[in-house]
Amino acid sequence: MSDIASWVSQMLVGCKLTIELFAVTLVFSIPLGLILSFVRTAKCPKNTLGRVLYCCVEWIVSGFILIMRGTPLMLQIFFVYFGLPYVPVIGPYLTFDRFPAGAVAFVLNYGAYYAEIFRGGLLSVDKGQYEASKVLGLTSMQTKFRIVMPQMIRIALPSVANETIILLKDTALVTAIGLSELLKVTTNIVNRTTNISAFAVAAVFYLIFSYILTVIFRKLENKFDF
Amino acid sequence: MSIIEVKNLKKSFGPLEVLKDISINIEKGDIVAILGPSGSGKSTFLRSLIDLEEIDAGDICIEGSYLVKNGVYPSEKEKRKILLKTGMVFQHFNLFPHLNIKKNLMLAPLLAKQDTKENIEALARETLEKVGLSDKMDVMPSTLSGGQKQRVAIARALMLRPDIVLFDEPTSALDPELTGEVLNVIRNLAKEGNTMLIVTHEVGFASEVANKVVFMEDGYIQAVGSPDEVIRNQTNERINAFLNKVK
Repeated sequence: MSDIASWVSQMLVGCKLTIELFAVTLVFSIPLGLILSFVRTAKCPKNTLGRVLYCCVEWIVSGFILIMRGTPLMLQIFFVYFGLPYVPVIGPYLTFDRFPAGAVAFVLNYGAYYAEIFRGGLLSVDKGQYEASKVLGLTSMQTKFRIVMPQMIRIALPSVANETIILLKDTALVTAIGLSELLKVTTNIVNRTTNISAFAVAAVFYLIFSYILTVIFRKLENKFDF
Repeated sequence: MSIIEVKNLKKSFGPLEVLKDISINIEKGDIVAILGPSGSGKSTFLRSLIDLEEIDAGDICIEGSYLVKNGVYPSEKEKRKILLKTGMVFQHFNLFPHLNIKKNLMLAPLLAKQDTKENIEALARETLEKVGLSDKMDVMPSTLSGGQKQRVAIARALMLRPDIVLFDEPTSALDPELTGEVLNVIRNLAKEGNTMLIVTHEVGFASEVANKVVFMEDGYIQAVGSPDEVIRNQTNERINAFLNKVK
């Protein structure tokens, strides 16, 4: 029994890192996803300069999402930590410590996924909502934030919840660049004690976090149910 | 001066010419019913008056200001100013589902800084009373019937005190037993001297309420006149055939 107590206290240290990475990713990737989804659903302007600019931005964003969704997150973590410093000219400025490197890779990757979820939500808002906003004299900003966003969030919430729980478990990937998060700490315990029941304790930790997330998202869904 | 002047309006969707050459003047206080078969361009015409469709050529002049002249539109800011004089009611209501009825009504006047919050709320109460729904201030749109939703939509359009109200098939999405309550509200508005344009299939209602009836077909206005001229004593065979079909 005292074994388990000592495991738990070591795992709590790992949990701290897991939660920090999870929180940083969530806080930055959701706004990033929102901005990207707005870009991808924006209408092409009519003047020539606007059209050229629009095409460039659209191309960059699509390419970014293709790369982020099309390559493994583990590879992206390696790339940010080991690869970026070798980029010519700007490389020396892109040298990150382990945690910031992991966080950057996570924010970019999850930003791309959230962007697609939000885009789906934006596309399913009825076009009559835009028309009603227009005839009532709302500006496009007012329409976006007062009318479209609340409806988009309701549609996107179940998928956001799903993705967020995946994020929680994906944090284990930063083990690959030597960060001691929950699963890494657990593996160390197992290696040291040759007792695999430590994995069961880790599973309980993950389950508790997932359950908390589930409850929070259920509350949010109720709040946005109209 | 007419409140709405439309001259040589043309509009295409790709290769499809929807409005071929529309010219009409509408006077202050006119109740105009726009009739015609589906695909005749009546909704497109109505929507172009409030800039939901951008026209290709022609003029639209509202209360002396050009919304579009020779197919050229002014700046967004200028357009917004001109369009504030016009309200619109849609076939599918388009209430904001995430806001309760009071907020649906108050949002636009609040954002336009039309008045103080207290006065706008009082106006919302008064306007809901006018459409017979004063007990629904705090409920969500999803709890209302179709007819009630459309009456709220009419109240919402009136909140900005428009000089002109456009109705795009306001009863077409309603069950037959619910059209009466909406038509009654429109009938009462007509008595108050508002200028209204109504695209409708309710020929009986049109001939009763409107003082001017427009019959559209194939992108042209085929007939304009009093209900007597256009509906009751129509001699054109095609128009008569249409009227008999929808009656």
